[in-house]
This record gives sequence, C-alpha cells and structure tokens, in this order.
Amino acid sequence: MTQPETHDLDLMDAALAEGRVTTADPAERELQELALALQADSAEPRPAFAEELSDRVKEGFPRKRAVPNVPRIPRPRRMVPVLAAAASLLVALAVALPLIDGPDNKTMSTGGDTASPPPAAQSESRSGMTQPSPVPPPGGPGQDFAPNRAGRNIERSASLALEAPGNELDRLAEGVARVADRQRGFVLRSSVSSGDESGGGSLELRVPADRLRDTLRELSALGKVRSRSESGQDVTATVVTATDRLESARAERSSLLRRLRRADNDTQAETLRQRLDANAIEIRRLRGELRSLRLRTNYAAISVSLSDESRGDTIGGPGDSTKDALDDAVGSLQDSLNFLLRALGALLPVGLVLAGLGFGGRALLRRRRESALA
Amino acid sequence: MRPRLRRRGGVNEALAEPLHAVPAQREAESFEALYERTFPRVYAYVASLLRDRSAAEDVTAQAFERAYRKRRGYRASRGSPEAWLFGIARNAALDELRRRKRRATLEHDPEDLGSPSLDDHAETALRREVVRAALAGLDGPERDLVALKFQGGLTNGEIATALGMSESNVGTKLHRAVTKLREACHDAA
Repeated sequence: MTQPETHDLDLMDAALAEGRVTTADPAERELQELALALQADSAEPRPAFAEELSDRVKEGFPRKRAVPNVPRIPRPRRMVPVLAAAASLLVALAVALPLIDGPDNKTMSTGGDTASPPPAAQSESRSGMTQPSPVPPPGGPGQDFAPNRAGRNIERSASLALEAPGNELDRLAEGVARVADRQRGFVLRSSVSSGDESGGGSLELRVPADRLRDTLRELSALGKVRSRSESGQDVTATVVTATDRLESARAERSSLLRRLRRADNDTQAETLRQRLDANAIEIRRLRGELRSLRLRTNYAAISVSLSDESRGDTIGGPGDSTKDALDDAVGSLQDSLNFLLRALGALLPVGLVLAGLGFGGRALLRRRRESALA
Repeated sequence: MRPRLRRRGGVNEALAEPLHAVPAQREAESFEALYERTFPRVYAYVASLLRDRSAAEDVTAQAFERAYRKRRGYRASRGSPEAWLFGIARNAALDELRRRKRRATLEHDPEDLGSPSLDDHAETALRREVVRAALAGLDGPERDLVALKFQGGLTNGEIATALGMSESNVGTKLHRAVTKLREACHDAA
C-alpha cells in the first residue's frame, strides 16, 4: 500500500471515528464527506425485529425440535478422543496378538535321525500326559516304520531343569554326576559356573535306557524341579534297514570271494578285487551306523539344567533369565516400532490425500460462495 | 482474573476476551454484549449485500444464531470477535444470495432499502442518490469490501481476517474502490 493510499484511508477513518469532517482541504474534505455519506447510507433494522432477536439472544436461541428425544450424533471434534482410544486399542491388539504364541510353546525334545521328530516320536510332559509330536514333512527320514517287530528300538531322551537350594549349585552338580554313576551311566558334557552374575550350569548325561525312569526320579529328588520333559523316538525301521543291508553286503562279499577264487585271468580278478574293496567300505559304514543306533537306543540322553534358587536363572533353560526377559522386551518394542512404522507408511499418504481434499473442498466452497458476488 | 477493558474505534471491547475462556454464564453475557455492540452494523452490512429487508432480517438472525452455536469454536488468536462474527454473517449472506439467485434482480431492486424520509434535506437526499448510483457501478467484491468498511464499521485488519486476505491488500483494494466511487460521484455531479 502506497503512502497516499494510507493517508486517504486514515482520513476516512478519522471522519468515521469523529462522525464529522475534520479537515479544511477541499480534496480531503470531499473524501471524508464520501466516507460519512457511505456510513449514513446504512440500513436500519425495524424496532420489532431488533426486539425479537434481542429476546432470542437473551434466551440463548432455544432449539425448536421437531422430533423430541432423538439422540444427536456427536460432533467430529467430540468424537476425536473416542476414535483415538479405539485406534490405540486396535494398534495394541495388533501388536500383542502375534506375541501371545511366543516362546512359551517351545518343546524340549531331542534326538532322532532328524531335528524334527517323526510320527513315532512322542514327548511326555511332567504331568504325565502323552502328547503327539508335530507331524514332520511327508517322505522325510524316520517316517518309515517296521510293523510286527517284537523288540522295538526306541531312542529316548529327557530334559530336566533343577533349582539348587540356597547357593549349593556345586553340590547339586556333584549330586547329578553321582546319580549318573550309580545308574551305570556317565556325564558326557558338563558346564557349571557360579558367581553373582552368571550362576548356573548344564550337564549332558547318558544312562542305560532301561534305567531312565529311575535316574530321573533320583535326579528330581536332588532339587526343586522347574521343568521336566521326556521324549522317545522309534528307530526300529532304521535298525532293520541297516541290518538287512549289512547282511546283504556280507552275502555279496562271500559271493565275490568265491568268484575271485575261480577267476580265470588277471583282468577278471582285478575287477572282483575292486568290487570287494567297495563292498568292504559299505560293510564298515553299515556296521558303524548300527553301532551308533545301538548306542542311541541302549543309552538315554538326559539334559540337566541347573540354576541357583536365589537367582532363578538357568543356563540353557527355556528363557527365564532377566537377560532373556530384557531381550523379549526389546524384541516386543522392535515389533511395535516396526508395526507403527508400517502403519505410518500406510496412513501418511492417506492423511495427506485427505488433508488435500479438505483444503481443496474448503477452497471450492469459498469460491462458490464468492461467486455470488461476481 | 477480570479481563482488562480496552477501547478501540470507540467501541467497548469487553468481548475481546476469548469466548471459550469464560464460564457458561459469563459466556452468555459476553455473547449478549457482542450482540448489543454489533447488531445494527451486522444488519446494515447484510442488508447492503442482499438489498432485501426481509431477507436481511432472516440472514441476520441466522448469522447470530450460528455464531451463538459456534461460540465455543471462537479463537482469539484468529482475530477479534467482530471479524469472526462478520465472517459468519458474510457466509450466511453469500449462501442466501447463491440460493435465491437474486443477483439479477438485486441490481434492479435497490429501492427497498433506505428510501429517503420526508424530513431528509434535499441536498442530502440528492447526495445519497449519487452515492447509491456510484455504488451500483462497483463490482460485487468491491461492494462487499465497502459494505464491511462503512456499514459494518470494521477496521482494515478485521476485514482482512473476515475475508482471509492481508491487511495491506485490503487497504489497496478499499482505496481503489473509494477512488472509483469518487470518480463516479464526480461524473454524476
């Protein structure tokens, strides 16, 4: 705005405020007179209308409801807290639901031909209920079975979490080793540590399969049992197959030896010797396999986790330590953040579009209104 | 704490206190004060836009009722109560104009308002006719601006708030409209 424009507007404002012409200059006087004339040309309301409207204002514009007792739809602004609470609840549910089926469902079954137990394998919880193990992929090893066999070959394993009373972790570890020795078993691996920060331990035992129950009973008497599980896997089919293949290999060896004795020339003899060498390797492999199977079925594997009662911490246990809890909390937080980021990624464009539509709608409405003046 | 009273343009500004910041009873009193202060000006402004006494009464009543219902939404940071109220009145008047599609008849039906009274001095009456003729020569937005300034009695800042423009822009456009009016009055003389 230029200075003359400002000056003119100030002159008009002065005239309007005073209600009269305030200058003697003819041009300025004319401007002020115009302002006063424009102001004087204002329409005045009828007294009856003024009185009626004044009464309505005093009464607070009472509503004339055509249909009484009809519930009003809350205004959007009042619904914001409700919508925000509902959205928060949905987000919380979306974050929490995937975590419900978390680490609590971990099973502690061991061994077998594969990491996943076959249908013949069963795990037994401490309550004594026998639960079927998860079904392995079809066609996988261990799915074969040998029906109508009198002596089944079962590979057994168990795990036990023990809590030492007071600070007697070392005494508990020694007790476990003594039980293994008494049951004509042995300690395959052991790891025990004590201290303020990392007290706990684990022992890997092997005991004769027929003494598994007795061993577990004696071990359970050593301390407070925090968890216990047993599992068994039928490897009869694997044993039968390996035995049959070993017998076949031995029969082939006898046949090859007979043919070697009757060989007519050196070439034929050399070929037979090469086949005998391959046959010998196969026999050694099958013997080793059978020996391993016998060890696994004759001896049960017991995994014992030890913890200090004062710490409630178990090394190799099912994740009860403070560190595990902290890890779980951090994991949950990461999951929540991931979810929020994804939600933000989806909602941000939608929000921008809605905001654009809102601004566009308002601008359009304004233009349509202004068009009435054009 | 009691709000400090201040005067601006010769008008008591008790309602300059934010409407949403006062208790219910005082809020009603504040709105009543705003009504008492602005009613004639709002009516004059609406009437100058609509050029129809009956429609002006309806729209004025509608504007005050709308303002009363929306009074909790008023924010002092967005401008004075007058600017807020005149914005509502203007929207109501424009909606009425659009709805009734009266523009064509408006320009040919100005005699309904402000007819000269018998005791009007002849010179004054003549001048009023000249000014009205000059006003009729302005375009719609210019007439709106002049009405807000002279019938509504708003400051340039309040007009800027009501129209969503800058104060400087309002001043420039207002000066342009007044200059046109002066020239039209000169031509008529």
